Amino acid sequence: MKHRNLSVWRNIDKPLVLFYIILSIIGYLIMFSSSFKGSEFQDFVWNSNYGKQLIWLFLTSFLGIVILLIDGNLIKNSSYLIYGVIIFLLFIVLLMPPLKGARSWFYFSGFSFQPSELIKLALSLALAKLLSDVGSKFQDFKTKLKAFLLIIIPSILIALQPDPGTMLVFTCFVFVLYREGLSGNFLLVGLFTVLIAIVGIFLKASNSVFYIGETMVSGIVFFGFFLIIGFIFSFLIIRYFVLPRYRKQKIRSLILIGILGLSISGGINVVYDSVFKDRHRTRFQIMFGIKEDRQGAGYNIYQALSAVGSGEGFGKGFLKGTLSNDKYKHVPEQNTDFIFCVLAEELGFMGSLIFIILYLSMLVRIIAVAERQRSKFTRIYGYCVSGILFFHFMINIAMVIGLAPVIGIPLPFFSKGGSAILSFGLMIFIMLRLDAERKVVLR
Amino acid sequence: MDPFKNRRWVIILIITCVGIIFSLRLFYIQVINHDWSERAAEISLTTENLQPPRGFIYDRNNNLLVGSATLYDLFILPIAVKEKDTVIICDVFNFSRSDFREILNQASSGYNVPYKPSVFIKSMSQLEHAKISPFIGQIPAIHAESKLDRGYPFPIASHLLGYIRRIDENQFQKTRKEDDLFYTKNDFIGITGLENQYEKLLRGERGNINYLKDYAGNKMETVDKTPPKAGKSLLITLDAKLQKLGEDLMKNKIGSIVALEPSTGEVLAMISAPSYNPSLLTGRNFANEFKNLKQNDSLKPLINRPVYNDKYRPGSIFKLVQALIALDEGVITKETGFVCNKNTIGCHNHEKPNSLLKAIKHSCNPYFFHVYKRLIMKNSNGNIFETSRLGLGIWEEKVKSFGFGSPLGIDLPDEKSGFIPNVEFYDRWYGKKRWAFSTIYSNSIGEGEIGVSPIQMANLAAIIANKGFYYTPHVVKKIEDEELSNKYKIKHFTDVEENHFEIITKAMNEVVNNGTGRNARIDSIEVCGKTGTVENKNFNDHSVFISFAPMSKPKIAIAVYVEYGTWGSKWAAPIASLMMEKYINGKLSEKSYQKMLEIQQSVILNKNTKF
Repeated sequence: MKHRNLSVWRNIDKPLVLFYIILSIIGYLIMFSSSFKGSEFQDFVWNSNYGKQLIWLFLTSFLGIVILLIDGNLIKNSSYLIYGVIIFLLFIVLLMPPLKGARSWFYFSGFSFQPSELIKLALSLALAKLLSDVGSKFQDFKTKLKAFLLIIIPSILIALQPDPGTMLVFTCFVFVLYREGLSGNFLLVGLFTVLIAIVGIFLKASNSVFYIGETMVSGIVFFGFFLIIGFIFSFLIIRYFVLPRYRKQKIRSLILIGILGLSISGGINVVYDSVFKDRHRTRFQIMFGIKEDRQGAGYNIYQALSAVGSGEGFGKGFLKGTLSNDKYKHVPEQNTDFIFCVLAEELGFMGSLIFIILYLSMLVRIIAVAERQRSKFTRIYGYCVSGILFFHFMINIAMVIGLAPVIGIPLPFFSKGGSAILSFGLMIFIMLRLDAERKVVLR
Repeated sequence: MDPFKNRRWVIILIITCVGIIFSLRLFYIQVINHDWSERAAEISLTTENLQPPRGFIYDRNNNLLVGSATLYDLFILPIAVKEKDTVIICDVFNFSRSDFREILNQASSGYNVPYKPSVFIKSMSQLEHAKISPFIGQIPAIHAESKLDRGYPFPIASHLLGYIRRIDENQFQKTRKEDDLFYTKNDFIGITGLENQYEKLLRGERGNINYLKDYAGNKMETVDKTPPKAGKSLLITLDAKLQKLGEDLMKNKIGSIVALEPSTGEVLAMISAPSYNPSLLTGRNFANEFKNLKQNDSLKPLINRPVYNDKYRPGSIFKLVQALIALDEGVITKETGFVCNKNTIGCHNHEKPNSLLKAIKHSCNPYFFHVYKRLIMKNSNGNIFETSRLGLGIWEEKVKSFGFGSPLGIDLPDEKSGFIPNVEFYDRWYGKKRWAFSTIYSNSIGEGEIGVSPIQMANLAAIIANKGFYYTPHVVKKIEDEELSNKYKIKHFTDVEENHFEIITKAMNEVVNNGTGRNARIDSIEVCGKTGTVENKNFNDHSVFISFAPMSKPKIAIAVYVEYGTWGSKWAAPIASLMMEKYINGKLSEKSYQKMLEIQQSVILNKNTKF
């Protein structure tokens, strides 16, 4: 036992531990500042946001140390079990009374718990297990289908809550699958889809119109024509400039892309008009700067950007914010989704930059750690962790600085919320545990 | 071994790109573009104006004349009014439901918006506020703001002090046009008297305070504060006790008293009758009281007659000016005598006016008819029209050197010029070469077209007391630590040589001792004076008296004008003597006290009062 202990300590990845500790401390302090009411230096109240957060941090550390002490194989082998339990919880939570319009929480006297936070961890484990099993090859259609099912079941359950932010995070598994051999075309197609979607939604949101001759057409229809003309040109180029033996293949992909592009822009045309509600439309309009609804739908983002901007170069100083803490509350949700405002306001651009560098360095470190594994399971798991953290970071910050519409999603290690703190903490600890065994296991 | 190992670089590249995009975006909104920072200040800061207390006014003996009283304005915030509040509010303020609806409506329309508080009860007194303040605490939609109004420990000198009032829309726009950003729409501004004249000194300087507010607009923390600078206090030249006596004497009469200190030009007392209590024009009742004083009182108590009413004919007191000019022009000497011929102009029976002294002593009209004739016709060239024009021109210039015909420049608003008729005036009136001495002779005894304000009459007394010069009369003695403007330290000399004043002074002393002004005698003091009886065709004449004392070293010069008070010695002379005795001796003798009571009780409001 003693020997094993030492071996964990010797083989643990110290840079990653350091990143985790530093980010957790900064995150906690920022969370403390966001809940700061101006009078709590004397009294530390346990039954407050920051008090509960600290309890969750302690609990996470405790569970983390336990994880470091148990055998990695145990974790690996109980992957499906954990996945199953969390899926079960996701079913149960749908029977709970809704809060803020979503059935996402369990309550126990003062504490609340969100199973959708843990599913990210469970899904990572299950996916790693599936793809690393002996005999399963990613190239097989069967494996692909299983992976797809693993992802789609919790997605549906979360969609029912509803919690679009978490659903969006599941997109990150594309990166994992890409690393494991999914065709790069998927990334390109994804990029293409995003671009078409952005242009399409912009055209819809701005109500732009174009003229073809004398006929007035809406922007999206014009965009459709534009795409068709683009494909005809590409087709002609292939027809006359590509060697005949490659022609058939190129034309086939061209047709696929063409159909995809047209169906996406067509889909947006329909979805934007009939599926989206007014508030969604307004969010997009605000994001594109077409509308500035300061008192209404644009309130959150306007206040958030003001807080971020007011941090200027070096910030107002820790606990000295005047917009985004609990004392002034100009920024709504300042200790959950908009917590980055507190950091940006109090620590300024320098603080924000250091934060971004630290955060992304940790992600790269996780990838580096994953890449040095001989165990396929650990590598896939590492990519899952990195991808999940990256997507949270990307969506959350983009929303706060006005590059994406408002989507409720926490910033790992910063946002208030025990389930998230626990879930992200355990992800890292499991990663550390598995990595510490890299020299022991061969597979 | 692993064909996809290099794919990690693609993923790391994507992560790095996102990091760079975010950093650039943050650099833009935090460092390059300051719009968001400014918006943040707009969101989190609120500035509040701090009203400075208005300067006080003290009399020459440091008695407080104008101090302050606290008022309360009640504000209502329409969006915060709850159903249960309505019941309490209607109960506390005695509103009916529809009254209250009207109030809410007003507080939400026009310039007012429902999410900002607006005034719904103005100028509540301290006592009224104390009664309702416990209820206000229960209603979050209502709050009170205190305000400093004027308070008057001695309710005297209302005309001279003037009043303040909430700024109206016209004045507000006017001040904005003049780039004067001091006022808010709820502020007081001086309208008349010293309050108006010294408005910019009395009002002080505004301060402001910057608060950090929370999302609901609550003030959380003070960022910085510029305290307001209190208005400057004025020490004025008025003697409160003398002023009070003057106001008592003029009770139930119409007219003016102006008392000056000849050696400085300081105004010792300035009474305009009928008067009003300055406390009436404060607080909540301002509007009602103002309406009563302004519209419902035919005697126009708001007018400050001593400076504003310049249509008064001076009457016989003007003979002093005629005598001085005639002496200076050399058309008479002090030994010159004329026959009292009542054919030319009316007179009363008196001893022969065989010297200037006797003529003044008895106020002989025909004597001064001849004096004026000699003045006007001095440079006779055969043509009476030409001669008159020439004579009148010289005369007008000399009269104006006594401060007549133009404002003296006292530090009070609305001072009128008075009027000395001149060549152009008569040319316009009668036509060129259509008038001569015979047309204008009534000027000789201070009748005719001459118009003089009481302050100018008092100034005439001061000129004679000073033997030929005057200081511009003024009311403010000291502005806190500032010295008085040099404007009030310049001697203004008349065009008449100093040596001619001796005989006039002597004659004025004779007037009081043995002549028409015997009612003005004071046992212990040598008084110089001159009566005036200003003719009214169908009503009683006006009673006028100017005077100074003591004769050798004058301390006070005074002019009294009692409208419809018959002849000069009847009312004006005794009033003047009481004022002078009070000022010089500090008290009234027993005999004078009885006289004072008698005058105080007399009512002269009717134009035909029988005496």
